[in-house]
Amino acid sequence: MIELEIALPLSRFRLEVAAALPADTVAVLGPSGSGKTSLLESIAGLRPKAAGRVTIRGERVMDTKAGLKPPPERRRIGYVPQDACLFPHLNVGENVRFGMARRNGAALFEEAVRILEISPLLDRYPATLSGGERQRVALARAIATEPRLLLLDEPLAAVDPALRGRILPYLLRVRGSLGVPFLYVTHNAGEARAVAEAAIVLRAGAVTFAGTPDAALEMISADEDPEARFDNILSGLLEASGAGGENGLLRIGETRLVVPADPRAVPGTRAVYSVAPEDILVSTRPLEGISARNVHPGRVVSVTIAGTDAWIGISAAGVEWTARLTRTASDVLGLAGGVEVWIAVKTQAFHRLG
Amino acid sequence: MEAPSDASILLLTLRVAAIATLLILPIGIFAAWRLSRRAGAGRTLAETLLSLPLVLPPTAVGLLLLELLSRSGPLGRLLDRLGIEILFTWKAVVLATAVMSFPLLVRPARTAFEEIEPRLLAMARSLGCGPIAVFRRVALPLAWRGVLSGTLLAFSRALGEFGATIMIAGNIPGRTQTMALAIFQRTHIGRDDAALRLVAITVVIAFTVVWTSEIVTRRRSRRSET
Repeated sequence: MIELEIALPLSRFRLEVAAALPADTVAVLGPSGSGKTSLLESIAGLRPKAAGRVTIRGERVMDTKAGLKPPPERRRIGYVPQDACLFPHLNVGENVRFGMARRNGAALFEEAVRILEISPLLDRYPATLSGGERQRVALARAIATEPRLLLLDEPLAAVDPALRGRILPYLLRVRGSLGVPFLYVTHNAGEARAVAEAAIVLRAGAVTFAGTPDAALEMISADEDPEARFDNILSGLLEASGAGGENGLLRIGETRLVVPADPRAVPGTRAVYSVAPEDILVSTRPLEGISARNVHPGRVVSVTIAGTDAWIGISAAGVEWTARLTRTASDVLGLAGGVEVWIAVKTQAFHRLG
Repeated sequence: MEAPSDASILLLTLRVAAIATLLILPIGIFAAWRLSRRAGAGRTLAETLLSLPLVLPPTAVGLLLLELLSRSGPLGRLLDRLGIEILFTWKAVVLATAVMSFPLLVRPARTAFEEIEPRLLAMARSLGCGPIAVFRRVALPLAWRGVLSGTLLAFSRALGEFGATIMIAGNIPGRTQTMALAIFQRTHIGRDDAALRLVAITVVIAFTVVWTSEIVTRRRSRRSET
C-alpha cells in the first residue's frame, strides 16, 4: 500500500499528486515534463518546498501537516535517478558501500552485487561504465541502504538504443528476491505491466489515472506522450539457448515461444524478452503456411483507438499481448472485445533484455 | 647586533608562512564551502569583504590591524588584559600574512566547491549522509585540487608579505624580519649583493610552489571526468 499526497510549486505548473494505491509496486507513466522526476525527488526529501504526506505499508515517511518532514538522510528511501548520479571519485564497490545499512549492510552488499551482476565492475570508476552499467550500480547502491522504498527513474529508451543493459530485468529480480516496494518511472506502458501491480499517469503535475497497469495502457495510448512505448515484456524460463544452430525456446507457463538463438545464454535460467507491438500480426482466420514461428490462437481483450492507431489487447497462449495496427486494419478485420483471432510473431521480433 | 644569516631568515619566513597557512586553512575551507552553497546579497557582501585584502594597499590593512591591536584598540585592550603580546613579535608577522593570504585560499577553493554537481550532494544526503558527512565524503574529495591550489597560493603569498607585516611587526632582525623585509633592509643599507642572494632564494621557492599549484589544477585524472 502506497499513499501519496504531494504538493510542490514548479515553474510551469503546480505538482499536485494524490493517489492511494493498493500495491507495493507502482509504475509512474506520463509524458516528459509532467512532473515525474519532481514527484520522486519530493518523496526522497530533495525538494525542500514539497508539502504533503507519504505513507508506505502504513509507515509515514513524511507528513508536513503534522510537522513530520525528515531530511533526506533520515528517510531511508533509495533513489536511482535517470543519470545514476554515481560518485566520480569512488569506484563501483565504494559507491555501492556508500550508504550501506549498519546492521545488514554486508549481506545486502553481497546480495545487491549478485542480483545486479556487478562483481566484475567493482574496481572500476563510473567514468568507464556504460549507461546501463551505471544504472545497475546505482540500483545496487540504493538496495544496500536497506530502503523502505525504491524510487527508479528509468532513462529514456533512446539513451540506450541497444535494449540490453536496461534496468528492467534487474528490477524484476529485485522485486522477486527482496520485496522492496518501489515507484518506477517509465515511458513504456508494457514495462509498467511487466513490473508493477499498479500504475499512475501524470500529466502537467496532476494524476490523470490511477489503477491497474493494464488499464493505464489504454489510458496512455489516448494520451500524447511521443516517447511512449508499449513493448510486450515476456519473462520466462529459457529451455534451450539454440546453441546448436536451432532457435532458442522460452517457456512461459505451458507455452513455448521460439526466440532467436543466443549461444551465450544458459538454458534453465530466467530470461526477459521484449516484443514491439508493431511486430505482432493479427489475423481473424487460422494462419497456415507462414514463416513466423510463433502462431497462437487467442481472443481480443480490448481495442483502444488513438488517432490513426488501434491498440489491440489480445490474450493468447496464456500471455497478454498488445498489438499495434492501423485503425483501418482493425476496422476491416472487425476487431472488438471477444473476437477470436490468431497472432503471429517472428522469431527475430524477440529482443532479449536480460 | 650581528645580522642574522640567510638561512635563519629563510627559516623564520618559512615558519611564519606555514603557521599562517595552517591557521587560515580550516577557516578558509569552511568559508569557501559556505559561500559556494549560498546565493544572494549576503554572499556578495561576504565575498567583497573577503577579497578586500587583495585590492587594498597592504599598508592600509596593516594600519587597520595596528589600530585594532594597539593598547587603545578594541582587541588590543582585551589582549593586554590577558597578557598576550602580539604587536612587533613573530605572532604579528603570522597575523599579517594570514590576513593577506586568506582571499587567495578562499577563491580557488570556492570555485572548486561550486563546480561540484549539486545532484551528487543531494544524492549523498539521500544515501544517509548528514551535512557534515556530505562535506567530508563527497565535497572535499571532489574539490581537493582547488583547495590544494588555494593553499599553495596562500602559502606563496605568505612568504612574500611585506606591507602589512612592516606595519604591525616592524622589521626586527632575528625576530620579525622575513625575506621580504630583509631584502628591503639590505638594499636600504647598500648591501645589494646580499639582498640579491635572498631574491634568488625567493625566486626558487616561489617558482616551485606556483608551478606545483599549476600542475595540480591543470591535471585532471581520467576518473574524475564524467
